[in-house]
Amino acid sequence: MKKLFSRILQFFKGEKFHRYLKTLRYSLYVILHPFDGFWDLGHEKRGSMAAAHTIVILTLLTHLWDMRFASFMFNNTRWERVNILMVILGILVPLAIWVVANWSLTTLMDGKGKLGDIYMATAYAFTPYVIIGLPMIVVSNLVTFEEGVFYTYFNVFALIWCVFLILAGMMMVHDYGLGKGVFSSLLSLAGMAIIIFILLLFFSLISDAVAYFVSLFKEISFRF
Amino acid sequence: MTKKRITVLFLLMCLLLSTVHTAFASDWYSYTYNFWGEEVESPDAYSVTNVLYGTNWEEVGAFKNPEGIFTVGDSVFICDTGNNRIVELLRKDGTYEFVRVIYSVQVAQDLAEQLTVDGNITLTFNTPTDIYVMPITDEERLEVFGEYTGEMYEVPVTEEPAEDETGDETGEEPAEDGTGDETGEEPAEDETGSSSESEDAAEAEAADGETEDGETADGETGDGEAADGEAGDGESGETVVVPYRENIIGQELDLEYDFYIADCQNNRILHCDYNMNVIGVIQNPEDDTLADNYEFLPCKLVADAAYRVYVQATGINSGLMEFDKTGTFTSYVGANKVQVSIVDKIWRKLQTQAQKDRTVQYVPTEYNNLSLDSKGFIYVTTHTLEDDDIWAGTATPVRKLNSMGSDILVRNGNAYPSGDLVWGTAGGISGASMLIDVIAFANDTYACLDRARGRLFVYDFQGNMLCAFGNYGSVAGCFTFPTGMDNPDEETILVLDRQGSVTEFSMTNYGRMINEALAEYKIGHYDESAEIWQEVLKYNGNNELAYVGIGRALLRNGQYKEAMEYFEVARDEVNYSKAFKHYREQVVEEYIGVAVVALAVLIIVPKLIRGTIKLRKEIREA
Repeated sequence: MKKLFSRILQFFKGEKFHRYLKTLRYSLYVILHPFDGFWDLGHEKRGSMAAAHTIVILTLLTHLWDMRFASFMFNNTRWERVNILMVILGILVPLAIWVVANWSLTTLMDGKGKLGDIYMATAYAFTPYVIIGLPMIVVSNLVTFEEGVFYTYFNVFALIWCVFLILAGMMMVHDYGLGKGVFSSLLSLAGMAIIIFILLLFFSLISDAVAYFVSLFKEISFRF
Repeated sequence: MTKKRITVLFLLMCLLLSTVHTAFASDWYSYTYNFWGEEVESPDAYSVTNVLYGTNWEEVGAFKNPEGIFTVGDSVFICDTGNNRIVELLRKDGTYEFVRVIYSVQVAQDLAEQLTVDGNITLTFNTPTDIYVMPITDEERLEVFGEYTGEMYEVPVTEEPAEDETGDETGEEPAEDGTGDETGEEPAEDETGSSSESEDAAEAEAADGETEDGETADGETGDGEAADGEAGDGESGETVVVPYRENIIGQELDLEYDFYIADCQNNRILHCDYNMNVIGVIQNPEDDTLADNYEFLPCKLVADAAYRVYVQATGINSGLMEFDKTGTFTSYVGANKVQVSIVDKIWRKLQTQAQKDRTVQYVPTEYNNLSLDSKGFIYVTTHTLEDDDIWAGTATPVRKLNSMGSDILVRNGNAYPSGDLVWGTAGGISGASMLIDVIAFANDTYACLDRARGRLFVYDFQGNMLCAFGNYGSVAGCFTFPTGMDNPDEETILVLDRQGSVTEFSMTNYGRMINEALAEYKIGHYDESAEIWQEVLKYNGNNELAYVGIGRALLRNGQYKEAMEYFEVARDEVNYSKAFKHYREQVVEEYIGVAVVALAVLIIVPKLIRGTIKLRKEIREA
């Protein structure tokens, strides 16, 4: 027991954890100096995957906590209709498709970024949502309906900031200019739609095929 | 593992892309809508207590396509439109007694000319669509409208029994019968001038007399006569004397009422006293906005305390027509504004003339019914709105017009009063409710009648839906083609169905409690109101208004925390916010001292500690 405790203590004191904290703290620098920040994120290895995962998890938590704890005046969640898994996937799956679509397109457009770089940049771009969203949950419980515009505006501001950061991130990761960055991002959105369409097509075909074989099996089994 | 992932992904795709619209049919007779706009079962606020048919009374017989119903005091008037008559009933202890069937009016000699339709003095109705009854004393009437009786106009007769009937009917001056006959015949001779014509009339008269007992044949003869008249007009320019039908009187009443009858196909509104003596006629409205060949087809009408008559007429889309007490057209009231969106404007610019002609004209909506509340405001309904606009909440099918004609209906509810919020496609009926009548109660609640699904919606003075009930069908309490309704008292609603039935709804205990709670609230008795709302909750825990009502009382009493809880259940953000504001003040006031001290401590204590440490260090070093 004591050994375990000391081991844990050692981990927190260790180099790895120190680096993790540093990369996590670096997200604060990134959101304020997006172009510098995103450049160094990949090229100078000042960001880490672990920190990126943390930010994504915090984003999910912020979203869920907002649904759960924000004042009902600004919150139309009906918990009897909510499936938390679906809420989580509702963020994670678009994120994954975005990353894949963006990577698929930028490899064709001389993009320098790797799959991991794209993911990391996107994850770091979510930071304002967490930083503004979490305090806003508390604020929502302290304001009246009329004062609620603050809550709404700050949240919208956070989202706009996030979108701007994603754009900046993509520009830096792929070493693009502004025009190409915006263009590739828009193309990625179209790519996401195509991927979703193909997935749906695929699944419906598969289910048809499965249904065909199932009915075939049934026919044969009824014979004998 | 991969399989699981695929299923999850697949489910997510469905979630993202599917826009499955559930066809929602109301499973209950009575329901309301909750905050989320979903149907919620509710106890009956009204229940069917009686269904009346024309055949209930021997003298009346089956109704045919009745269009209008009006109640005043205990009297009920039904416009039996298809039979060209008006049926008067008397409500007594929950039953309905026959009073009379009105087929025709009588008129003084001087006024008779005003009743000319197609060259004939016509005392009978042709498709009467609505009746408005106004309590008025003889003195008042004399003062406002002057003398209108005297020597009565006699119907020109060509047959003995008919003459006898008319003689009995007027019965006032048998000595002057001769003169009456002469004057009556004169215009007829001038206009027709042929003996065959009067024979025709006699035949029609005779036919009428024969069928007087067999009620079902009435409509047919009426129709035949109308067709005859048209044919005569078209072919030879000769006119036919419209057969006169005598009223059937079941019991004599002496009431001080005036009638305004929308005699639609005769293009006139008849204003008469309780004994059917014509006081005035409204016809041929003159205005620059009306086309020269405009045919006045009054459908629904009310008259206000200043004897102004407001008429909803077919083909008029500039609002209601207002007539002064002399029957002169004065103005339109409550005209709709036409709103053309920018997209439509651009689209119009790009269209060719042929395309423009083919696209729908942007016309203001036409009202379909109106009713007067106790304070003189006019409630109107319209159904010529786009479903999309109703869905978006930009169209207003129910309006309350003030004297300026602007809409002052309060719409503070979760949704605009527009009938059903969930439309569905159940029973092949889709789209928005088709509100075709509205009645206002004394406490400013109002009920709307939906023809699409045969439903009634009752709203309070704030526009919150109190209850919805009814359905399409032929069971008691359901309708196939409701045409109108009225309320004889505050707790009863009579709904007229074109099939020829009148359904009487009476308020249940539950409905009465809601009404009382609203009434107590309106006069400022918040605690009493809350107590009643508590009772309502025992009947119906889904009643969001009850939670709001209780919350309001708590708010008034300064129990902010409790009030907030009630408002949160009903999801009333505005009131919750009010309660919260007070609650926040309370908390701040209570803890401001503690907070200041705590803040001071937080700032000072670390400094002190630091100071002491420094001091100690210095001492040690020294």
